[in-house]
Amino acid sequence: MNVAERSCVKLNKSDLDSEKNHNIDIYEDARKILADALLELGTDNKNIVFISMDSSAGASGGAFKKAFPERHFEFGIAEQNGIGEAAGLAISGKIPVIAAYVPFTTYRPFEQIRDDLCKTKLNAIIMGNNSGFSVSSLGPTHTILEEVGVLRALPNMTIICPADGIEYRQVLEVASKINCPTYIRISRIKAKRIFSDDHKLVFGKADIIKKGDDITLLATGTMVSKSLEAADILAKEKINAEVISMSTIKPLDEEAVINSANKTGKVVTIEEHSVFNGLGSAVSEVLSKNCPVRMKFIGTPDEYAPVGSYEELIDYYSLSSEKIAGTILNFYKSF
Amino acid sequence: MSGLTKNEIKELTKKAYECRKNILKMMRFGEAHIGGAFSSLDIITVLYNKILKHDPKKPKWEDRDRFILSAGHKGMALYTTLENQGYFNKEILWTYNTFNTKVPMHPDEKVLPGIEFPTGSLGHGLAVGQGMAHAGKLDKKDYRVFVMLGDGESAEGSVWEALMSASNFNLDNLVVIVDKNGLQVNGRTKEIMNSESLEEKFKAFGWETRAIAGHDFNEIYDALSSVPFKTGKPSAIIADTVKCKGLDFAEDKYEYHHWHFKESEIDDVLKNVDECCREELCKIE
Repeated sequence: MNVAERSCVKLNKSDLDSEKNHNIDIYEDARKILADALLELGTDNKNIVFISMDSSAGASGGAFKKAFPERHFEFGIAEQNGIGEAAGLAISGKIPVIAAYVPFTTYRPFEQIRDDLCKTKLNAIIMGNNSGFSVSSLGPTHTILEEVGVLRALPNMTIICPADGIEYRQVLEVASKINCPTYIRISRIKAKRIFSDDHKLVFGKADIIKKGDDITLLATGTMVSKSLEAADILAKEKINAEVISMSTIKPLDEEAVINSANKTGKVVTIEEHSVFNGLGSAVSEVLSKNCPVRMKFIGTPDEYAPVGSYEELIDYYSLSSEKIAGTILNFYKSF
Repeated sequence: MSGLTKNEIKELTKKAYECRKNILKMMRFGEAHIGGAFSSLDIITVLYNKILKHDPKKPKWEDRDRFILSAGHKGMALYTTLENQGYFNKEILWTYNTFNTKVPMHPDEKVLPGIEFPTGSLGHGLAVGQGMAHAGKLDKKDYRVFVMLGDGESAEGSVWEALMSASNFNLDNLVVIVDKNGLQVNGRTKEIMNSESLEEKFKAFGWETRAIAGHDFNEIYDALSSVPFKTGKPSAIIADTVKCKGLDFAEDKYEYHHWHFKESEIDDVLKNVDECCREELCKIE
């Protein structure tokens, strides 16, 4: 068993292969899993370098720093410099991993991301830690609910939002082979287990977790497990929902989206992100030209989030599984 | 004392003025940032002819020295120098400002051999050069990275982030050259945002720094051939230059930061550059 495998609870496919069993009550720390995975990736690939912006200790880089101090570069609180450095390293054949809170890896150095990483199409990994409501007690400067929309607009940018511990275990290695800049959206909230050990996170591919004929639920990141729970609630109302995990937001798995929409004729997107320009918008861009169907966008509105605990904000924005199910039920009955 | 002979200085002068004339010929196709291109040309000419370890036939040779023109709007100085060195056919220069050109106003590494990194938005090049220098250290290569900044560009905060960290990382394979022509779009740099003394500021940020006259080939060569000035430290050369150097009616005038002449003026403008070149050559004797 390798380092990364040890960081996840072992689950065989037989433990998970019934639809209901996808709601396994195992919760895993993405940061711990990513730290182990980064250490393993750095061991296997000497071109992996880590860019810390006073962030590595809290952003899964601590073990890597200890093992490979010569490949860990500390920049302090200077994010434009960190991304520019990453571009210089990447064009020289290194694979930089940059990790910090979402606003500091995305917004402060945005032009460096656009000009120096995306325009040049360099292989670099940007880890956006503490995404969504993860640190909502810190207020709107740290609660970023729009960055997927902002980054999605950049040509050559790729975006992955892992759904559970198994995907967090694999995402760094997957990203290291994309040969484009990759943004990984990482929640601080422990991830509910969805997949068995043999699940493969495939870049650009959606995963149908629960088959259904009545309505399509397309969810990403933290909202995948909540959508599965919502689907269980809907089942009690005799609504057979199809649940698809959209871990890769860009490029979107258009085929999976179109096939399910063709089947059910009703599509709901669920994300811990603004409904402007996020997963819902990406899906609607595909469906509007290929298979126009009724859609419901579940996410946050066009506003800065209030301060509160994670659970309070989930409730405030109706993103609990019960409230998601209620929203979907109303949408379903509106036809 | 300089290691350059009079003949070498003459040759460098001729090459730099030939590049200036080629820039003017490119400008038949549109306006350009002529001021900074002309002020930086003598330094870039010395770099490519006397300092950089490079091979125009193998632009991606992994042991080559790297040059990043952080102030990318001076790209015409780089294009004409690269053409002079044999990186590409001269005909490419005459596509300036045309659709899908390989010589756009700001350099693009994807379309033209010899361009190390695309620049245009100011304040990006030094951090990127720092990353290249870091990669060289990691790979135990002895190549050096030269980054040219403008003095106006030095108002960007990102420049100072990189200045602080490069000395912190002891990157003695990294060299900054500031083309300090003292002018920017809106006027005199010291009136828009006084950055003096750049030399003292760079020193305070941990760089070994030398101020030179940026059109004196001896001083340019002396400084560039002496890097690193100190082992374990990055080197900075603050070069006093004249905006639009080599076109006497436009020298040291901010109105010529970005300029275009009328088609009917081209012959007169080229003659003016030739006269400036002759004067420079006379001074060498």
